[in-house]
Amino acid sequence: MSSITVLLLVLMTLMILVGGRQGWSAFWGLICNFCFLFLGIALMAFHMSPLIVLLIIGATVLAVTIFTGNDQSIVTITAFWSSLIILLIICLLILLINHIAMIQGFGPEESNELAGYSTTIGINFSQVAISSMTISSLGAIAEASIAISTGLHEVLTQHPDLNSRQLMISGYHIGQQIIGTTLNTLFFGLFGSALSLFIWFSQFHYSFTTIINNQILCQSLIEILVSFLGVLLVIPVTTIMAIRHH
Amino acid sequence: MRIKTKWIKSPQFVILIVMIIIGIFGNVFISYDLKFYSKPVAKVTSVKQISISKTDDEFHNQDEQISQRLIVTVLNGKYRHHRLTLNNTYTKSQTNSHKYRKSNVLILNNISDDKGKLSASILSLKRDRILFNITWLIITILVVMMGRAGLLAFIGVFINLLLFIVMININDQLHGNAILPVSIISAVIFTAISLLLIQGFSKKMLATFGATIGGTLLSILIGLLLLNLTHNRGVYYETMSYITQFPIPLFAAETLLSSLGAVMDEASDIMATLFELKTVDPTVSRHQLFSSGLSVGHSIMGPLINVLFLIFLADTFNSSLLYLRNGNSWGFTFNMTMSLGMVQSLICGIGIVLTIPLTSIFGALLLGKQVKL
Repeated sequence: MSSITVLLLVLMTLMILVGGRQGWSAFWGLICNFCFLFLGIALMAFHMSPLIVLLIIGATVLAVTIFTGNDQSIVTITAFWSSLIILLIICLLILLINHIAMIQGFGPEESNELAGYSTTIGINFSQVAISSMTISSLGAIAEASIAISTGLHEVLTQHPDLNSRQLMISGYHIGQQIIGTTLNTLFFGLFGSALSLFIWFSQFHYSFTTIINNQILCQSLIEILVSFLGVLLVIPVTTIMAIRHH
Repeated sequence: MRIKTKWIKSPQFVILIVMIIIGIFGNVFISYDLKFYSKPVAKVTSVKQISISKTDDEFHNQDEQISQRLIVTVLNGKYRHHRLTLNNTYTKSQTNSHKYRKSNVLILNNISDDKGKLSASILSLKRDRILFNITWLIITILVVMMGRAGLLAFIGVFINLLLFIVMININDQLHGNAILPVSIISAVIFTAISLLLIQGFSKKMLATFGATIGGTLLSILIGLLLLNLTHNRGVYYETMSYITQFPIPLFAAETLLSSLGAVMDEASDIMATLFELKTVDPTVSRHQLFSSGLSVGHSIMGPLINVLFLIFLADTFNSSLLYLRNGNSWGFTFNMTMSLGMVQSLICGIGIVLTIPLTSIFGALLLGKQVKL
């Protein structure tokens, strides 16, 4: 058995042992997301526009993540629609940012990996960059949206007579509790994935100005920053949606 | 009217004004920061397309190759105000080339002067302004919306970033021989700082700290153990990017740091609930605490694993497409572009799941014990 199979089986067993039925469905959620993203890559490889792939696969991934993790329909529906609105906002924002920052495709440090490969492959890499950055932010957005929507639902169950203004404040309070740790999750993720890149910069004595203008660094940093912006925006959007549903 | 004056006096308004001043100052600074650049920086004043040709590679991928001639004005250094002509070739797909436009600012490699005829090649686009503006926008929204909590979260990230750079330097001094111990020590410091800033010093913070470090280390140990037992079958360390030192410890260090944030997030959530329960009902039993901890964990583990999983998968889009369009099979593409990230996500996932019982037991023992006293 390959290492990946063993790790996958261990993860599955642990998720079932610790999480029971919920753990089992969360595990299937992960497998489904993997299959849908792989399908997305396949569609792009067969020349479907990466932006259309983003909209279809992005919405599907959000649905899988949100609906497999929780079974209170009022919570999940609010979370799903607010995440979908944020997906569109983030996608447009990255479109604009990428136009200015030109962070699509491969950077000069990756030329080793490209050696021997044809790079004239006729796929619009700007659009690929937009879809990859948007999809990478969806996990954090969905998580925050579920947290806000679950929290507000609980508040409403206990105090059904709260007015919109009080609910808005509750939404912000819940947001304040999750924002610090979400920022950490995203940034430590970046530290982990960019560790070897940073070591590369220091081994080859890149100057500070070269580093902050470096394509790959800007790519990873902007990806994390935009994900975090998505999380910030999802707080008021989910709160408003929850109030309207109520 | 009353609401208006109230808003003007609110701390949010003051913060907003301060942030706007910082934003303006930063943008002005970036316009005049060229003396910090040792390389020449130049602005594109005109662009002319000189040729366009259709390409068709051996895998029948159709693309276009376009050459453009850029006239640029140098903005700094010895050749300031000089004009020069640069040639740039890009493909329509812009896989590893860029289509430059008028008024782009470029960083050049050193200008060579051949009897008054200047020439240079393009190093990269100057991206500091956009990077600054995005960061500025996010910090502004963060502190205006979230106030003190937002500011502290941001300060935490900033301090950790500085420590991360120190950590890279120490790794360099040790010639990359001790990246794993260095990153374990860094992880302990990162966690302490983040939790101190988010929660403040308290018993709760110490308990969360213990659970986070325990969960992260346990997941790395189990991960490395499983990889060893399966002899790394199907794991292609040679596909790691930007490799300058021995890959396996570096890979472990990367995994450790990636999972740290998520594990901390989860441990904080569970610990917060357990302390809350203890406050509401001081006689709560260990067993009750343990099962409440587990039930909080159930609902957050799926979304958390998903956060890391989606980031990893989305980052493989570029290389996967390149491999697939170069006539490689699905299996080969998976092995070359995804196997390492997959192993990393799975180990992080195992860590995230194991932290749930670990934090719950830890919290139950800690808070349950007090009842007896």
